[in-house]
Amino acid sequence: MSDELDYDDELHPGEDLKEVKKKELGDLSVVVDDVHITYRVFGGKRGGTAGIKPSLVSRMLEAGRPKPPVTHVKAVRGVSFTARRGEAVAIVGHNGSGKSTLLRAVAGLLPPTSGTIYTASEPALLGVNAALMPKLTGERNIVVGGLALGLNYKEVQENVQNVADFAELGDFLYLPMNAYSSGMSSRLRFAISTITTPDILMIDEALGTGDAAFRAKSTERVEMVRENAGTIFFVSHSLAQVRKICTRALWLDQGKLVMDDDVEVVADAYEVFMRNRKKARSGGKVV
Amino acid sequence: MSDIPQGALSPRLTSAESAKVAKAAGLRQMGVRPNLLHYIHLVWNRRSFIWNLSASKAYTKNQGSYLGQAWNILRPTLDALVFIILFGFGFRAGRDGVANIAAFIVIGTFTFSFMQGLITSGVSSIRSNLSLVRSHQFPRAVVPLSVCMTDVVLFAQKLIAMLVIVFLCGFLPGMGHVPLTWTWLLTPVVAALSGIFAMGVGMFFARLGARTPDLANIVPFFLNLLRFASGVMFSISARISPANHDTWWARIIEYQPFAVYLNLMRACFGNDPNFQMSTLMWVLAVVYAVGFFVLGFIFFWGAEETYGRE
Repeated sequence: MSDELDYDDELHPGEDLKEVKKKELGDLSVVVDDVHITYRVFGGKRGGTAGIKPSLVSRMLEAGRPKPPVTHVKAVRGVSFTARRGEAVAIVGHNGSGKSTLLRAVAGLLPPTSGTIYTASEPALLGVNAALMPKLTGERNIVVGGLALGLNYKEVQENVQNVADFAELGDFLYLPMNAYSSGMSSRLRFAISTITTPDILMIDEALGTGDAAFRAKSTERVEMVRENAGTIFFVSHSLAQVRKICTRALWLDQGKLVMDDDVEVVADAYEVFMRNRKKARSGGKVV
Repeated sequence: MSDIPQGALSPRLTSAESAKVAKAAGLRQMGVRPNLLHYIHLVWNRRSFIWNLSASKAYTKNQGSYLGQAWNILRPTLDALVFIILFGFGFRAGRDGVANIAAFIVIGTFTFSFMQGLITSGVSSIRSNLSLVRSHQFPRAVVPLSVCMTDVVLFAQKLIAMLVIVFLCGFLPGMGHVPLTWTWLLTPVVAALSGIFAMGVGMFFARLGARTPDLANIVPFFLNLLRFASGVMFSISARISPANHDTWWARIIEYQPFAVYLNLMRACFGNDPNFQMSTLMWVLAVVYAVGFFVLGFIFFWGAEETYGRE
């Protein structure tokens, strides 16, 4: 036991300063060891490195050669970290840095290509991406979604009305989902995925859905789920949200871990990085 | 591009250290295949999920047209009609001493399409439900099982349609009468056995199809080949000359699973002396169903930890 605490002190110096926001640090709940995730993509062009246009000669030379049907995209490249009970870990990084992929892998939904993930319990992913069937009524989607989360049929039945009320569906509950507005269906997704309160909770940009009133309501709901969850992983582009909710942050860039530290430290550094990047871009465009 | 902080990371644990730390804290490794017995238990616990998912999918399958669910029965009826016209009236030579060629074709088409449908939906089951697989944690066998159950649910209606059409075929001019007998009650049993068999084959291909999407194009080709080799539209045993009846390949053709289920289904109607029930047929039907299902399930389980990977 004391061994692990030593590790923790090494990995996160100064963690004890942040007692305001978090519960006490408990046991290890997640260990991620050198995880790589490679997507196989069918189709696409060979040698498609953006910016380098192949010359006419090389294009003629390559014309006859068979193109490989599969391209390998390395989304996560060797990420390792540990997390403890009571921690709220943000994962930041710009689009395509592998945040969601990493989250899915830790949730056990996307088997890593190599590397190992250890968890204390089965994590649950709270996301707006939950699979719903557009041709089914809201009611049936709630039932199927609840069963997918691992509830039994009776529990799901008891929850249908709660979920419908929370998602503010009204009479639309009995209409197929392809009749829903986009706000309505994302509210429903959110409501379904918060039926259960798992020990390890992963939130993938779930807080930006709906209008202001629903956002307030959903933030409250997440707070509630968060209170009960042991460890939280949070992916968001909103640094304000990240600072508010999390105690620690991982910064991913091109699938690699760049920084792993207290949330304020990482958020500050990331903010500076993003500002510079923005400047460089807009400057480039004007000229 | 600037400013990505370098060397801001504290030292990482090595793999060995990670494993040790995780073990000390009582963590379980993710994505490890549970043992077979535990896996069966997990799948069994999800039975209401399987059932609800398949019922929902069955409902959505024929949505979005004026006739809606009626198409579930109308489509195979129209298919059968094409074959009746083509083989029953067109090629008169193809009758092979069958008492009622129209009934023969209808039973053949409905039963074979059922098995064919189960297998083809099995092949693409994981790929077409990837978003479900990637958003929830559950034993993956739920996916091919529920996809196949969808077909089973839909076949319940088709079976009734088949019984009615076969009965009506008895009144066609120039074709043998189809009497009602108690053995008609055995048709759901044969359907269930053939369904279990095809589900097993479907689970086998579900594993292969998850990694190799091309199978979704290859498997239908072989199934079409089998459609003609199994005697769906003409009596295959009548096509084998009596001299060859005891050769090994004739026996394979006669006792391969598809032929067994088709023959047994025809025997249930009891209208044709060429197709009689026998204990051997029933034993084979049960053995094929149980055997293929068990093997298919185990084969699918063998790659449990990889489903969802691209």
